[in-house]
Amino acid sequence: MENMDTIDLFTLREHFNRNRILLCFNGPISRSLIEEIGNALKNYLQADNAHPSAAMDVFATYIEMTQNIRHYAAKRGYNDQEGSATVVVARDEDGHYLVQAGNMIEASDGDTLQGMVDELAVLDKVALKARYKEQMRKPRDDDAVTGAGLGLIDIARKSAAPLQADLSPAVNGRQFFSLRAVI
Amino acid sequence: MKELNLPGTQSTPTVTGNWDAGLLSISGDSYPENSFEMFGDIIAWVEGYLADSDHPLRVDLRIVYMNTSSVRAMLDIFDLLEEAHQQGRDVTVNWYYDPRNERVVSLADEFKEDCSFTFNIAPEKAA
Repeated sequence: MENMDTIDLFTLREHFNRNRILLCFNGPISRSLIEEIGNALKNYLQADNAHPSAAMDVFATYIEMTQNIRHYAAKRGYNDQEGSATVVVARDEDGHYLVQAGNMIEASDGDTLQGMVDELAVLDKVALKARYKEQMRKPRDDDAVTGAGLGLIDIARKSAAPLQADLSPAVNGRQFFSLRAVI
Repeated sequence: MKELNLPGTQSTPTVTGNWDAGLLSISGDSYPENSFEMFGDIIAWVEGYLADSDHPLRVDLRIVYMNTSSVRAMLDIFDLLEEAHQQGRDVTVNWYYDPRNERVVSLADEFKEDCSFTFNIAPEKAA
């Protein structure tokens, strides 16, 4: 591992450029920071000549993902550092926007979350709409365990490709959960 | 008579409730982390208004984007309107949108599907 003093900014920048990364963030995320980064995202999308509908879907996906992370951290009683989010918005070769967000979760929640995403990934748009409407009518406490209910279905509905979740092992009985949507 | 005036912020819409005119207006984006703090006031106003008299209620919406937390809270408002309508009350929702953004129409349409009162979704030129 490299020493902190030797982070090569130019290499990092090249990496961002090569992967067409529009925006990235890593660290503790507050209510107001979500709004500020969201503002920057809106401006970048406008400068990138995104269609208004696509821009709105990317923004909406970003909001649901980051607010889910905040809700999860609050439910699990995480401090700011533990509730840190890693967020990346990029463009792929086909001109789609990739919205990815990740956070630390309790290892015991990993399978539940992965299962929820996998279940949504196989549904078509009609089935997702039905699931969305059903979830809308459910008591709010239904989302309690993971904080991810209606928001996750909303993201799945907006994604052009099946939602994808990944779990990476981490220390202290935790896992890093990351979610990827294609707009 | 109670007036409702919630100034808008970046993530919350401007809300005005005119008791005498029987008009509730909500304009702007709505994506607060906890929507029930803000929508609680709106729901209380609608409940109070509906219980106070049998006058008509008109709801004018100019909402562009809502997060799912706001969608849930909005559903509670529409449920109140639907219940009042079922009891013979004159209630109308007008959802105005900028024709350049068709996402608003699908958002409004999905609410409309579950409502039997007059629910208009109309394009409006941006000011």
